[in-house]
Amino acid sequence: MKFIKTREENLSENYLELHYDDIDSETAAVLERLRPALKYIEGTADGKRLTFPLSDIFYFETVDRKTFGYTADTCLEVKETLQNIIDDHKDAGFVRISKSCIANMYKIKRLQGDLNMRTLIYLKNDECLVMNRGYRAEFYDALEKLRGRKKNETHK
Amino acid sequence: MKLINRHNFISVVCISFTLIVCGKLILEKSSGFIDRFYAENIFTCLGVSVLATFILSLHYYLQRFPFIPVVIGQYLALIGFIFLGIWIMGHFTDTAPSAYKDMFVSVTIPYVIGAVVYYISFFLQIKRANEVFEDLE
Repeated sequence: MKFIKTREENLSENYLELHYDDIDSETAAVLERLRPALKYIEGTADGKRLTFPLSDIFYFETVDRKTFGYTADTCLEVKETLQNIIDDHKDAGFVRISKSCIANMYKIKRLQGDLNMRTLIYLKNDECLVMNRGYRAEFYDALEKLRGRKKNETHK
Repeated sequence: MKLINRHNFISVVCISFTLIVCGKLILEKSSGFIDRFYAENIFTCLGVSVLATFILSLHYYLQRFPFIPVVIGQYLALIGFIFLGIWIMGHFTDTAPSAYKDMFVSVTIPYVIGAVVYYISFFLQIKRANEVFEDLE
């Protein structure tokens, strides 16, 4: 399988295009690896039904038993519960950081600790989320897995 | 994740008891001190190990509260129970005049060291995580 990487200036969004005659095992394996990152989620915003790639979602939050997903500029109400999102999309980099919030690890800019050992999570859109101490172990486990995956990708 | 749970409670008690007794024996040996209440003090060490492990195991259930009040509250509960134990024991057996002071020092020093190590490890973990996030960029 060939991999051709082309830089195009002024492209509004990066895209992958697959040319194939038959999906062989090698191609299927690549697609399988891409699947978590290329998942979509449906929801409503301002009464309109919208579909967003999961990778665009910065975090999910539950407010008054409703679940909202936040992209850079849209707040999307989704049907799934936080537990369903974690169960279905853990591989896409989502991790629980509090009882009412799930963050996308790929959208985290940096962490900061405060005196009371709460961890502040600064996202790439400059929003700040608070991680409870109870979810620290789960978060660092997910981060360790992410680092392992990244190392494997670098070696390949 | 519970660091101390019902499966490892006894193991944690045994390890902390062994460490406390070893520390006690090393200190006594190096200073040439002879403990007149050897048996009583060994059982006190066991009691302190069980009590401290139990109080620290409650930390998991208190994670939604701010760390500093929790750690101070746990310390006060621990030292309170120990002083209560000394007071009760004082009704049945002789206790050293410096019993309260000795137990205060014996509990406070390891507790403060443990809390500081825990606190520093928290910030080191954040530093390492930030390095990973920088690599991911």
